[in-house]
Amino acid sequence: MAIHFQHVSYQYPSGSYQFYQAINDISLSIPSQGEMIAIVGQTGSGKSTLAQHMNALLFPSSGSVDIFGSTIRQKRDKKISYNHLRKHVGLVFQFPEYQLFEETVQKDIMFGPMNFKISAADAAELAQKAIVQVGLDETYLKRNPFNLSGGEKKRVSIAGILALDPDILVLDEPTSGLDPKGKSQMMELFTAIQKQTDKTIIIITHDMDLVYRYMDRVIVMHEGRLIRDESPDRLFHRKNLAELHLDYPETISVLAAIKAQFSLDIDIYQKDMDAALVELRRAVGK
Amino acid sequence: MKNIVIGQYIPGKGLFYRMDPRTKIISVITLMIAIFLLGSIPQLLVAFSVCAVMMWVGNIPVKRVIRGMKPLIILLLFTFFFQIFFNKEGKLLLDEVMHVTVVSVLGIVLWTIIWRLLARIGKFKTVLLLAYIMGIFVLFRFLPFGYSFTTFRFAIYEKGIEMSIFVIIRLVIIISLSTVLTLTTKPTDLTQGLESLMRPLKIIGIRSEDFALIISISLRYIPTILDEAFKIMAAQASRGADFAEGKLKDKVKQVISLLVPMFIIAFKRSEDLADAMESRNFVPGKPRTRIHELRFGWTDIGVGVFTLAALALTIVLKVIG
Repeated sequence: MAIHFQHVSYQYPSGSYQFYQAINDISLSIPSQGEMIAIVGQTGSGKSTLAQHMNALLFPSSGSVDIFGSTIRQKRDKKISYNHLRKHVGLVFQFPEYQLFEETVQKDIMFGPMNFKISAADAAELAQKAIVQVGLDETYLKRNPFNLSGGEKKRVSIAGILALDPDILVLDEPTSGLDPKGKSQMMELFTAIQKQTDKTIIIITHDMDLVYRYMDRVIVMHEGRLIRDESPDRLFHRKNLAELHLDYPETISVLAAIKAQFSLDIDIYQKDMDAALVELRRAVGK
Repeated sequence: MKNIVIGQYIPGKGLFYRMDPRTKIISVITLMIAIFLLGSIPQLLVAFSVCAVMMWVGNIPVKRVIRGMKPLIILLLFTFFFQIFFNKEGKLLLDEVMHVTVVSVLGIVLWTIIWRLLARIGKFKTVLLLAYIMGIFVLFRFLPFGYSFTTFRFAIYEKGIEMSIFVIIRLVIIISLSTVLTLTTKPTDLTQGLESLMRPLKIIGIRSEDFALIISISLRYIPTILDEAFKIMAAQASRGADFAEGKLKDKVKQVISLLVPMFIIAFKRSEDLADAMESRNFVPGKPRTRIHELRFGWTDIGVGVFTLAALALTIVLKVIG
């Protein structure tokens, strides 16, 4: 296993004497290959904190995290190069404004690789590859990142991490603030990257449609605890998701409503609208 | 970082919490002036005990006041030793010849290393520093061996000791007075008080409301901006720019990668804030009402009378003495 959490808890210091327990006793394994993992849960349930443990940005208050053979504990270990772990696990933050700073997109994407002592020529090549990977063309390389639209900025920030060629890619709400088309484009992009390179991709999201349609595994957080770690299919077959502040995907709720209204005999568990339509046609006998 | 405490304010109840910030500010300034008018150690000791009684009455946690002095301990030590070394009045108490020799210099180097190693443990830092300074004198005095570079005289005079104690007590009183103010007054109340006190400056064209607004917005945004800074640092660290690792050459680039997003986000935030304020009808310079009006109460009158009495007494003492 590439990343292995063992009874990890983390407390944010808060006020003078109190602590805010962000995640609590989490045990979890993540392979380095071939999984699309979603982390879901209501705001403040500890999703981002969990993600920041995956590349040693946060150190657990108790428990330990194994990242590609290095064990991260509460205290900084001088023998471990934490910086180096971040080449293995790439973390893209929610807001691209927090990382763009260079005057051209190309330089900004090159910043990551060059921090890991990759020559400027090679880094430029990586930048070129990465910008194409995120679905923008090479003319963007010469542009100023601050004059891009929100969606483009987001893509550039993802390219900045992709250029590092991490083994595991962690994305904090990559589809927030994008229009519906941009969302599905972005998700197609991730599935394409996953198919091409067989990397594990972990996505924090609130969008159940995307989870149901694209992901292999879903981790549900609730008040700092990990309460479900299973396939989306199993999760959405459960009855009381509202208690966890989760929704059902559109297809399931629409089909369930139709099924109840017209008492049709249909399988409500369809991953996208096309499949739902096919199922509906079948049920009404057309 | 979920909550960052700005200033030293701790919530609580007591005499000083009930007071108007304006009275507190003026009283503290007046009492400080009074302390500077005092001219002898016994007078200062009396003032010190009055101060202690005041803190006891006001339910001020003494621990916090002492902790507030910690950053100033270097200043206290400096004034103390400055007075002892350079005050050459009064009776001669101690006169020793100090030797700067090969052996004593080597001894001091060794002593410095020991001190740094002990300081690593992290406890009793101040005590260690004192011991280190004392140790240097002992080494200069008692190791006159080897090749001698030079010698100097170390003399302590009566007046030096007296003045150093005098200055230390005075500083301690002044620091505790200002700590009482900052411990019991919210930063926002403090700025509101200052604004109200500075209002007469309007005559010479200084608008105190603007200053107060600037100060309160800055205070409000320190935790927010700090929070943003941590997020940017985390984002850049995941691109291989860890601020805890890396060489000096890389650090320059890292700082740029932190500063540029910081500025952009700060400008964005200030634009948003300006829009939010304007959409709630804020017009700079126009009079506005407040949620919390400042009001003087009985406590303010009591403390005011006490302060004036103290000032009057010190002036009388100054004139007589």
